[in-house]
Amino acid sequence: MTTSLYLLRRLLQAVAVIFIVTVVVFGLLHSLPGGPARGILGAQATAQQIEQFNSEQGLTKPLYVQYFLYLGHLLHGDLGISYTYNESITQLIVERLPKTLVLTILQAVIALVIAIPLGMWQAAKRNHPVDYIATTVSFVAYSAPVFFLGLVLIIVFSQTIPLFPSQAPNGATLASVFANPAALVLPIATGAASMIAVFSRYMRSSTLENLSEDYVRTARAGGGSGGQILRRHVFRNSLTPVVAMLGYYVPVLFGGALVIEQLFNYPGMGLLFWNAAQSSDFPVLLGCVLVISVATVVGTLIADILQSVIDPRVKAGRT
Amino acid sequence: MFPVRLARPRQHWALAATSAVAAVALLAGCSASTGSTKSQSGSKDTINYALPANFTPNWILPIGTAAHLNTNNGSIARTLWEPLVAFNGSQGSIAWNKKGSLATAADFAPDGKSVTITLGKRTWSDGKPITSRDVEFWFNLIKANKAQWGNYNEGKAPDNWTTLVATDATHLTITFDRAYNNDWMLANELSLIHPLPQHVWDKTSDSGVVGNDDKTPAGAVKVWNYLNTAAKSLGDYSTNPLWKTISGPYLLSSFSTSGKVVLVANTKYDGGEKAKIKTVNLLPYTSTSAEENAVRSGAVDYGYITATNLDQAKSFTSQGYTVKPWTGWAITYMPYNFNNPTMGAVFKQLYARQAVQMSIDQTSLSKVIFNGTAVPGYGPIPQAQKSDFLSSAQKNNPYPYSTSKAAALLMSHGWTSQSGVMVCTSPGPSSSQCGVGVASGTKFAMSVLSQSGSTVTDNMMSAIQSSLSKAGISFSIKTAPVNSVLSQTPPCTASEAICKWQLSFFGTAGSWYFSAFPTGDSLFMTKGGANFGSYSNKDVDAVIKESTTSSGNTAIQSYSAKLAADLPVIWLPSPDYQISVVKSGLTGFSQDSLADFHPAEWSWAK
Repeated sequence: MTTSLYLLRRLLQAVAVIFIVTVVVFGLLHSLPGGPARGILGAQATAQQIEQFNSEQGLTKPLYVQYFLYLGHLLHGDLGISYTYNESITQLIVERLPKTLVLTILQAVIALVIAIPLGMWQAAKRNHPVDYIATTVSFVAYSAPVFFLGLVLIIVFSQTIPLFPSQAPNGATLASVFANPAALVLPIATGAASMIAVFSRYMRSSTLENLSEDYVRTARAGGGSGGQILRRHVFRNSLTPVVAMLGYYVPVLFGGALVIEQLFNYPGMGLLFWNAAQSSDFPVLLGCVLVISVATVVGTLIADILQSVIDPRVKAGRT
Repeated sequence: MFPVRLARPRQHWALAATSAVAAVALLAGCSASTGSTKSQSGSKDTINYALPANFTPNWILPIGTAAHLNTNNGSIARTLWEPLVAFNGSQGSIAWNKKGSLATAADFAPDGKSVTITLGKRTWSDGKPITSRDVEFWFNLIKANKAQWGNYNEGKAPDNWTTLVATDATHLTITFDRAYNNDWMLANELSLIHPLPQHVWDKTSDSGVVGNDDKTPAGAVKVWNYLNTAAKSLGDYSTNPLWKTISGPYLLSSFSTSGKVVLVANTKYDGGEKAKIKTVNLLPYTSTSAEENAVRSGAVDYGYITATNLDQAKSFTSQGYTVKPWTGWAITYMPYNFNNPTMGAVFKQLYARQAVQMSIDQTSLSKVIFNGTAVPGYGPIPQAQKSDFLSSAQKNNPYPYSTSKAAALLMSHGWTSQSGVMVCTSPGPSSSQCGVGVASGTKFAMSVLSQSGSTVTDNMMSAIQSSLSKAGISFSIKTAPVNSVLSQTPPCTASEAICKWQLSFFGTAGSWYFSAFPTGDSLFMTKGGANFGSYSNKDVDAVIKESTTSSGNTAIQSYSAKLAADLPVIWLPSPDYQISVVKSGLTGFSQDSLADFHPAEWSWAK
């Protein structure tokens, strides 16, 4: 199968997956008892106001009609209007997605920059005291809840030693996010910590596995030094599972973003999703699910492609 | 596996580590120079006010739908467009604050069937006079679009206002469909009027010419739609010329869709509440934790903490804050679902409701669970403030806490304790039996759908569960977000699938905030819009009606006494609206128990 055919097939699969996700989520949301009106309008809303809200939002129509209307609007790029924010969902996502992407991408890049060499170093120093120390620290970072870690960082680095602000940049635009880079340090450090722990463990075991392969023995017999072998041979081969893991980590990143956004007052996608779920804001929920589904599908697709770039055997396996 | 000996590894690891550190350092950037952990205001010309956690302002127009007209949006709107009658608690007690009103007098006719309002000599920010035509404009818009208006209740304003006649530029008379209690009319209806700049807003499109479109119902609908559509463009709030013609002490300087609102003093303001602080920053917070962190780092001048953190008050006072509980003009309760197919018949028995109420130790709940930040409530009138509406019957708690008396009361009505839970063993209608509709073998087992996300509420529910069990009443707790609780516990009939709920709780921050005159028409009137449990009592209906139509406070006191005795809901302690932390030096204001904020009253001590 050619690469373009493979990509086309994956693209069609992605569309099918996203379609199924929207059907399931739409059905589940609208099967919730009571509907969203009373929650949105508040305890003081009158019966007429509830009736009017339901009518304006099309909630009185049969479910399948509502779904097809939603789908029709979606195909025209219209995700609807939020019940609670008084804004179009597209606008909300345009404002918030870049913020979450900045957070998650920086967090992932920093985590990988640290985790990959750390994992390889641990493998090279297997059973050495530094390996034990790094392993212990990794387990602590992995098992510490994100909100707890964030609070500790705030107390230490914002309140006790006032090095960094306790709040992430709060502006509406991406430019305002970068206007105060210091404010990004604690949220990124909080998110990166557990990711460093996870990926350094993956990298360590993957490196150890590769170090026991015949090609390493051959390279060694050919006179290659330990460092050269690690850099030139083991590094690339050890990356394969890490790259695969990265693709599947996209939803986890979004999930983690929620806690970080809540703690550091950073209104991004994670928080938008959470608040929508809390306030029965169905259109926003659907919009968020759509974005996360697309991100997950694209993430896994990119991971697959990168895997085949790193490891030609993966590409060969598709033919 | 053979050991790998690294030839020159350190440089590479060092390089990688240096890259990582460099990246972090890059992010740290100007941390030393920004000093952003310090208070961002620091100036006497600025104040940073923390909006409630998770609230994003999304509306500034003083007219709109129920989804838009929430308390905090309303507070912002009122700083831009002053109400005709500002009836609030900004002066320490709930009263007409004439300094913040466009009207200077409201003279009721002796028969109580009309009122003549006098406007002060005031001008819009563009220099044009504020006249009775601006009041008429508001009235026409509301009358033609009442179904869309968030404050509309059938039979109330504008339905009960038959005419509004402008006698001259500063006088107008509103005639009612019958005589009303003057205080109620002033506090609950006339206070809803917002004179709007007719000379700028009376058009149907941006390019349209300002005319008298509001004078016909069809035209008024078009104007309403135009204004409401314009108000949906949040991004244009600070630039749209429509929103520049104001009457209030502040002008909108910026309105970020992420929630930050900046108000600057209106230099053209000629009213009695001139802004004393030039710039007001209303700051949004994603969570209470985020807001508390901001307070701790000094970034907020007027913020809040949770009741559970009250024992850390010293850590805030040592940072120059004063802790000021902000009581609400509210009551807190758990509605019974009188139409529940299983427990409805039990809830309809007054003795059963008395037994439940006697099993709630409100004094201990207020002191222990709420850390002293709640006030016991025994009836439908708020008790955190002194008022003339409160009856002595309600004030004196007609059903003091006693689980032994509660159990004895149940047993005297045909209930027997079996395995710690009361079971009806003597069904029948007589006074020593369980009551009409309660079948033999019915267990006194209730369940509540309670608001989630609050440790205080969770603790209160557990405490109530424990005390009810002492009276032999089983109480199970389910939780859901507040919006879900409201959606899942509507007024219903027994045959409806949604009528399975038995008790509902949505009062973590108080269940019901009243207008200044605390009538119960929505809450406890038969078929009232917010009468979730379908409570119905003809005597109560009559007294509620009387409280709004008769003069004086006798009727509302009678209403207070009747509902304290009849227990339409389980009365619970009413928590403070907010536990504020206020920077020392911020003075000159009282916290409005109607839950509004009034930036024009804030000032920094010199």
